[in-house]
Amino acid sequence: MFDVHFLQQIVNGLSLGLVYALVAIGFTLIFGVLNVVNFAHGEVYTIGAFAGLLLITSVAPPLFAVLLVVAAVGALTGFGLERLAFKPFRRFRDEASIKSRAMREATLLSSLALSIVAREVLDLAFGGEMQVIPQSYLLQTPIMIGGVALTDGNLVILGASILMLAGLQWMLYRTRTGLAIRAVSNNVLGAQFVGINTERAIVATFLVGSMLGAVAGIMVGLYDGSIFPHMGFGPAVKAFVAMVMGGLSSIPGAVISALILGVAESVATDFVSAGWKDLIAYGFLIVTLVFFPRGIFGYSRERV
Amino acid sequence: MKSLVRTIVAVALGAALVAPAAAQEIYIGYQAPLTGTQSQYGEVFRNAATMQLEKFNAAGGVGGRKVVIVWEDSKSDPKEAVAIGRKFVDDKRIVGVLGDFASGPSMAVGEVYAKEGMAQLSQTASHPDYTKISKWQFRNITTQAQEGPYNAKWLKDLGVKNVAVLALQNDWGLSAAENFQKSFEQLGGKATTEYFNPGTRDFRSILTKVQRTNPDAVYLAMFYEEGALLLQQAKQLGMKVPFYSTSALYAPKLIELGGDAVDGMKLTTTFDANNPAANVRAFVEDYKKRYGQEPNQFAAQGYDATGIMLEALKRAGPNATRAQVRDALAATKDYPGVTGATTFDPQTREPSKTLAKMEVKGGKFVVMPQQ
Amino acid sequence: MKPLALIGTVLAVAAVTAALLLSGSSYAVQVAITALIFVILTASLNLVTGTAGLMTLGHAAFYGVGAYAAALLSTKLGLSFWVTLPLAGLVTAFFGFLVALPTMRLTSIYFAVATLAIGEMIVVAITNWTGFTRGPMGIRGIPSITVFGHEGLTVNLLVVLAATLVSVWAIWRLTHSYYGNGLRALREDDQCAEAMGLNAVRLKIEVFTIACFFAGIAGALFAHTSGYISPESFRFGESILLLTMAVVGGLGSVPGSAIGAIILIVLPELLRGAGNVRMVAVGVVLFLCILFLPKGLFGEVSALAFARNQLRRAGLGWSR
Repeated sequence: MFDVHFLQQIVNGLSLGLVYALVAIGFTLIFGVLNVVNFAHGEVYTIGAFAGLLLITSVAPPLFAVLLVVAAVGALTGFGLERLAFKPFRRFRDEASIKSRAMREATLLSSLALSIVAREVLDLAFGGEMQVIPQSYLLQTPIMIGGVALTDGNLVILGASILMLAGLQWMLYRTRTGLAIRAVSNNVLGAQFVGINTERAIVATFLVGSMLGAVAGIMVGLYDGSIFPHMGFGPAVKAFVAMVMGGLSSIPGAVISALILGVAESVATDFVSAGWKDLIAYGFLIVTLVFFPRGIFGYSRERV
Repeated sequence: MKSLVRTIVAVALGAALVAPAAAQEIYIGYQAPLTGTQSQYGEVFRNAATMQLEKFNAAGGVGGRKVVIVWEDSKSDPKEAVAIGRKFVDDKRIVGVLGDFASGPSMAVGEVYAKEGMAQLSQTASHPDYTKISKWQFRNITTQAQEGPYNAKWLKDLGVKNVAVLALQNDWGLSAAENFQKSFEQLGGKATTEYFNPGTRDFRSILTKVQRTNPDAVYLAMFYEEGALLLQQAKQLGMKVPFYSTSALYAPKLIELGGDAVDGMKLTTTFDANNPAANVRAFVEDYKKRYGQEPNQFAAQGYDATGIMLEALKRAGPNATRAQVRDALAATKDYPGVTGATTFDPQTREPSKTLAKMEVKGGKFVVMPQQ
Repeated sequence: MKPLALIGTVLAVAAVTAALLLSGSSYAVQVAITALIFVILTASLNLVTGTAGLMTLGHAAFYGVGAYAAALLSTKLGLSFWVTLPLAGLVTAFFGFLVALPTMRLTSIYFAVATLAIGEMIVVAITNWTGFTRGPMGIRGIPSITVFGHEGLTVNLLVVLAATLVSVWAIWRLTHSYYGNGLRALREDDQCAEAMGLNAVRLKIEVFTIACFFAGIAGALFAHTSGYISPESFRFGESILLLTMAVVGGLGSVPGSAIGAIILIVLPELLRGAGNVRMVAVGVVLFLCILFLPKGLFGEVSALAFARNQLRRAGLGWSR
């Protein structure tokens, strides 16, 4: 059982987990601030992948430049998304509306509606099939380390995740924008009372969160070798699960949960048929929630 | 908002009004996923069927009357497929139906056509029970009951003893894997099947599991998109085992997506785009000219299914009823399609076709010489 | 419900049914059947999500449990529709009860994600347990509904209509009772509700079980009217569709659920003429709906008045 193949499974799991983590970071950031699920996050990821692919097929710049442009596209998408799906529902300033469930569920569905539109427009423009990616850009060059196969994709994704996570923590805890974001996520009304420009903080969150989502999209697309209009759904669901397991507002918690999820899925394949492995991942979630009702890394806070 | 509603109403009314104006035409329905997760297949069917239809109408149609295909988008959703079925049944002009793509929607709508009496010819539904629904169901795809034993014997003859089967967990994958495994075991070999859920994009952990059992060959029961990804990831994991597959992987897109990772894979097929036969050449050239890509197995299936339906309409005559169209379909014999000659078994309404062996070599599908 | 509104509703339902049957369009009847089944589903989802405030993302899976229960009972044991219908409801309710036991202590988004996970687990189990459910092959040959030896589309429509009316009436009574007030209290503030002497956990388990019962009924109706079921009809996307229906109609409102379900089933059918841009149009319409009617078309009465005031104040000029 504990042979080189087992080690390989762990590596597979960690790389899968990193993919979930990349998506979960942006997800968690937006949830933390607005307290709503952004259903369009999966589509931001898809748009990032398609933007990268268009760039690769038309200009063929080096990978690093691709990632930078995709980040910019992601930020732009995030801005548009916020303006269209979230801003209109903050037109009421009174306390009742801000706390109202119906208002929050409205943004949940407005983002869902936009995600349908985005996905179907991509489908119309590119067709539903998987896009052909130039072979030289695929992040699949094997690197063998004593029987365990890694790829350059693993390293790129790992590097990018560390970089993003570090950058994010720096931004959240060392800049004024970060301070504003944390204030809004803690208490919107309170933040308004002390003169924080909540609008700006919210927009900033969407810019950063969507940037991360879009970069994740192109990296995963190149790593798996698959870019297609419906690609965002699977990772977004798993990232959602990771976010909740991690305790909703804790970004490191979401990352660790994503890694646990990935490894659990991967190692489970060894014991049960691959068809059943989703059962393991979701079962894991249920068990976690039953024993840690606020997620593994969540802290209990007073409810408003 | 108001103008949108107005547009919708106008479109709906327009569709209703335009229709009766041209009574001279013969109508058939075609339902396929034109949007949603499987729209790539629906698009290919529409391309191929349109070509076939234009060719048929240009050649005089049915006794000088043109045939019209009414397209409906099922999104591969059984509940929408059933609604479409009702719509086609209601439309008295429609005398036969093509589609749907996946077996789920095809089976669901099959119940409607069985009850109401409408011939249904699916280009791809390969569920073993599909043609058992009623005498109204036909299909133009070799079932895995034919392909599985053929491939099992092929591998056995090559001296393979231990095969790992990787299969998509849907009705098609299930029947492909089961048919292969059963016949391979009957021939004295050993086969283990591993299923994965639709939508899987990361096959590394399944492949690692296969690596551990160290099989002589791996048999892939899946479609070309999964196939391309799986082969790429296998290469990346350094797997050297030979891969075999079914006709579902016969798609130029497989090579485009998978690059050199798919080199060396062997498969069976009924359609060969490099076949020198005149009708195949004409189809491939025309398809390339119109849509800028080489036709895949699915395009060929859709093209032939439409052709078979049109031939049946022609034989049934210009004023045929639905029942007459069905009988004409059932009488199809040696239809010279691009996927080979097709004959429907009058009892089971299953097609029989000839299979060929292929290999991917240097980025091309190459037919292997018959032994 | 005021008598006038009640009479109006009854007349409208009767008129639409008569029009459907007289039109001779089996397509319209089929769409109506699907819409009615989704009315039950949405109303039951709304009981949990709207009235009791527990967002559930796995409702379609319970609908699937009901459909599979009915299909297996009728094909394996040869039971008739009139037996499988209540049994499917009970089996699903029992399932819902089992699921509710461990998850009911979770709140808000944690509960939502737990139901998502359970929904996916149910679908994975249905898909992969091929020996029992026939997995992706689906179940074929489910007998259709018979009433005194009659069967067919008209019978299907009438039976489904009757079942829908009874279910919606039951859910309506439940929502507009002291019990419903208790549920609403839970939604607004469960700690407060407990302080007032309500047993929050028990209430939640009960309401979830009841909602699952109706989902099971809807599933049985679906299985017997379509004759063939396969796992793809019960996936996550379907749960999201149900949630969308509830929100478009108005969370917590029973007539809202009915309207929302009917709109979202009928709208894509009407848009068939739009061809490829159909789904884009559905998305756009959904978006506009939410943008201009954030409380749903038929919000709870107070919510509706609130929204109208807000919108008028915001200068959007939306009124009757």
